[in-house]
Amino acid sequence: MKPQILLAVVLASASLPVPALAGDEPKAAALPYPIRRATLDNGLEIVTVPFDSPGIIAYYTVVRTGSRNEVEKGLSGFAHFFEHMMFRGTERYSQEAYNDVLKALGADSNAFTTDDWTCYHMTIPATALPTAVEIEADRFQNLRYDEAAFQKEARAVLGEYNKSASSPFLKLEEAIADTAFTTHTYKHTTIGFLADVKDMPNQYAYSKLFFDRWYRPENCTIVVTGDVDHEKVVELARKEYGGWARGGRSVTIPEEPAQDGPRNAALTWPLPTLPILALAYHVPASDPSNPDVAALRALQEAVFGETSPLYRALVLDEQKAETLTAYADPHRDPHLFTVFARGRRIEFMPEIRRRIGEALDSAARTPIEHDRLRSIQSHLRYAFATELDSADAVARAVGESIAITGRPDAVNETYAAYDRLTPADLQRVAAKYFASGNETAVTLETKDAP
Amino acid sequence: MISSPSHGLWRGSVASTVAFALALALLLPLPSTAAAPLAEDQGGVVLVPTSGPLVSVRYLFEVGSKDDPKGKEGLAALTASMVARGGTTSLRYEEVLDRFFPMAASLDGACLKEVTIFSGTVHRDNLAAYIGLSTEMIASPRFAPEDFERLRDEALDYLTKTLRGNNDEALGKWTLQSALYEGHPYGRPDEGLVAGLKAITLDDVKSFHRDHFTQAALRLGLCGAVDQATIQQVREGLAQLPPGEVRAEALIPNAEPIKGLEVTIVSKPAEATAISLGFPLSITRADDDFYALVVANSFLGEHRTFNGRLMRDLRGKRGLNYGDYSYIEDFIQDGQSTFPIPNNHRSRQYFSIWIRPVPTEKSVFALRAALWELDRLVEKGMTLEEFEGTRSFLLNYSKLWVQTLSRRLGYELEGRLYGRKDLVTELAERLPKLTLEQVNEAVRKHLKVGGMKVAMVAGDAEALRERLTSGKPSPMVYDTEGTADEVLAQDKEIEVFPLRDLKVRVIPVEKIFE
Repeated sequence: MKPQILLAVVLASASLPVPALAGDEPKAAALPYPIRRATLDNGLEIVTVPFDSPGIIAYYTVVRTGSRNEVEKGLSGFAHFFEHMMFRGTERYSQEAYNDVLKALGADSNAFTTDDWTCYHMTIPATALPTAVEIEADRFQNLRYDEAAFQKEARAVLGEYNKSASSPFLKLEEAIADTAFTTHTYKHTTIGFLADVKDMPNQYAYSKLFFDRWYRPENCTIVVTGDVDHEKVVELARKEYGGWARGGRSVTIPEEPAQDGPRNAALTWPLPTLPILALAYHVPASDPSNPDVAALRALQEAVFGETSPLYRALVLDEQKAETLTAYADPHRDPHLFTVFARGRRIEFMPEIRRRIGEALDSAARTPIEHDRLRSIQSHLRYAFATELDSADAVARAVGESIAITGRPDAVNETYAAYDRLTPADLQRVAAKYFASGNETAVTLETKDAP
Repeated sequence: MISSPSHGLWRGSVASTVAFALALALLLPLPSTAAAPLAEDQGGVVLVPTSGPLVSVRYLFEVGSKDDPKGKEGLAALTASMVARGGTTSLRYEEVLDRFFPMAASLDGACLKEVTIFSGTVHRDNLAAYIGLSTEMIASPRFAPEDFERLRDEALDYLTKTLRGNNDEALGKWTLQSALYEGHPYGRPDEGLVAGLKAITLDDVKSFHRDHFTQAALRLGLCGAVDQATIQQVREGLAQLPPGEVRAEALIPNAEPIKGLEVTIVSKPAEATAISLGFPLSITRADDDFYALVVANSFLGEHRTFNGRLMRDLRGKRGLNYGDYSYIEDFIQDGQSTFPIPNNHRSRQYFSIWIRPVPTEKSVFALRAALWELDRLVEKGMTLEEFEGTRSFLLNYSKLWVQTLSRRLGYELEGRLYGRKDLVTELAERLPKLTLEQVNEAVRKHLKVGGMKVAMVAGDAEALRERLTSGKPSPMVYDTEGTADEVLAQDKEIEVFPLRDLKVRVIPVEKIFE
């Protein structure tokens, strides 16, 4: 049966981003290019973002599966491992043949995995679109590898773990996740527990189940940005992906219960290192319709950014901290707002922790000045506009929007939500999420530090 | 200070001599349209016009860590930090941050071996404010004692904590460069040495800025929708920089030739072993042979792709580690991208192979495998099919190196320092004319060497030394099934590949970069 195409076009304003400082009138969409969408009847979504990128396109396959989906015990890190396996070839294109095609195109091609999604991306000449559709559609439907290839790739993943293991940040990230979460799969990092990574060569059979479960059209979106014709992409996709069968399998991701009291973990490092304090707080999923999400993003800048009073005091004036920052990376399920500080000396750490708490208390008591909020809104808008400097960057932003919310235009909703923020919003979230009962404190210091 | 090719773009008084050369935009992906500078030899500003809302600015000074005075290693980088991350005569640093914040902009500073680059990308709404602030930072730094203390402490922390204790791959790479260029102006991290940094005073920084950050040393580029008013604003903003002098050419010597295999093991607690190895090259982008080596190197180990033989054989077929690459220039990855940062101009280059951390018990096999692969390339060369496939790849792939405004501008400026066009244009013009024979001849001429230096970061240095010097084979032991017979046969050759004239020294991690 000929696949039926449902076409929807979301047209954002093609005008340039405008500064939030301009006033209270409605702002142009943050992404200054039209987003066009189509859905094949097998559920595969096609999203294109045409804009002036002479001769170049970015071709992304967004799989809405990440380490969040790793519910089975002993199999953490599998989404990332599977990302590696996707380069191991098909009957039609062996691994070598697939690489040779990319090589002939001069493609910049790779993949990455996060907590929530797996992304396969290539930047290629626009004329190579039919080739990209063909080879990508082939491997997503017809991946084939033997156990020998599977085992060799498992050891490359161990190598990836090893390359990161000389940094205390891997250990720190593992401890934050493992301590802050008790139930949800965000308890493990994307690369997985080391024991599970070491055991990967033994999980060949499970890898087949993993592919069957998640590499299905209704769980994937093709994003093409740059010098692209939407209708052409849809036509090619219908031909090459149209026969891809729906899966329909799923798993239940366990919900994280509300935290019931403060948690701590203390780590050591075998070599001299600056002492680290990470304070993590559970916050909602990155749904742009939840005003708390935008308010927390602005709060990061207001309380911990480079222009915040706390940064000025601890990093610039008193120089007790070398680094002070906060982050709440977008997540599909409720995740964490993390305050991160690296102290100059171990004896400064108790004071740094106390003053972080005081700054959050102050943000809850006293509303931020309007001008300061305007400045933060302007910063967020221009930071995004500056980020959109290539077809790849645009595809990355749209891909993340799809991965986290299921909607390519949610990225515009997020920036519109920033523009609606009031001082009361920041005050509200400062009072709501930073109680000690919702806090996980992880410290790292040199082993045997005096 | 080394003098670059004679067609400098900004010489003499900024206020009096700026006549800008218009370098045409590189229209991707068609090689034939790439950069055709109209007035390359006239001096001025490199201007690459584009139609989008963003503008990139690069202020490049021909001064780098090679200019550090003896005993004050780190002075060039610290001076650059004081410009990019310090105040101005009229603004404290926190006020600089306040100005940048609503535009989401910054002045990024990078001090490399021979150049220091200050750069930024900004929305055109904010261009005038950005030019005003960034030129003030460069021409009139505050040199505040509190900025000095903060930035010097940061540099010391980078050497003593981050490099020594937090990043074995970077530690291995800097150990290799330090070994390759021992007693040479390149032979240390750009951030300096611990003793050198401790000896630097604020007056040293002020003097270094006055002597080296001059109009004579500056090359300027703008990419985006800029007009004459912007050029004029830059001109006025930098008018306070001293004129300086175009210095007489002071050739950087090449590193000493190496005899045998000189291994430096950095001893520290480590779960896996990071390896970098290499030797000095006698050519750079200024030489014709360089472009032949680009093809051979891409075939052997193109950075972070699956095209290279090292990656395919060591990672793909053996599962040895995460990645294996080779280089014919110093390579600093640009953020999370696959590409090198532009503007890392050096008058001396080196060949290197980067073996990402391997399990300790496989480290000697991994080293031998890298040497064996290089030897195979030198002795057997590339086939016609391999040559044509790699050349075709590079002709397309190189177009992607200039996707962003900042990178496009960087390559434009960089070509001029080598006395060439930008690298993408050079490749587009040269590769179609290149022959297999030229590539294989260049490989034999430049990659067949008497010796090599190796840096290994390892947990049990003495055990590693013993394994290296024992003269015994280092067989690859697989804990995975199904290794191909062809690979197992190669393993037999690799495990006994000679480690000729081997010398091993062990440096405790707390002593390195001291």
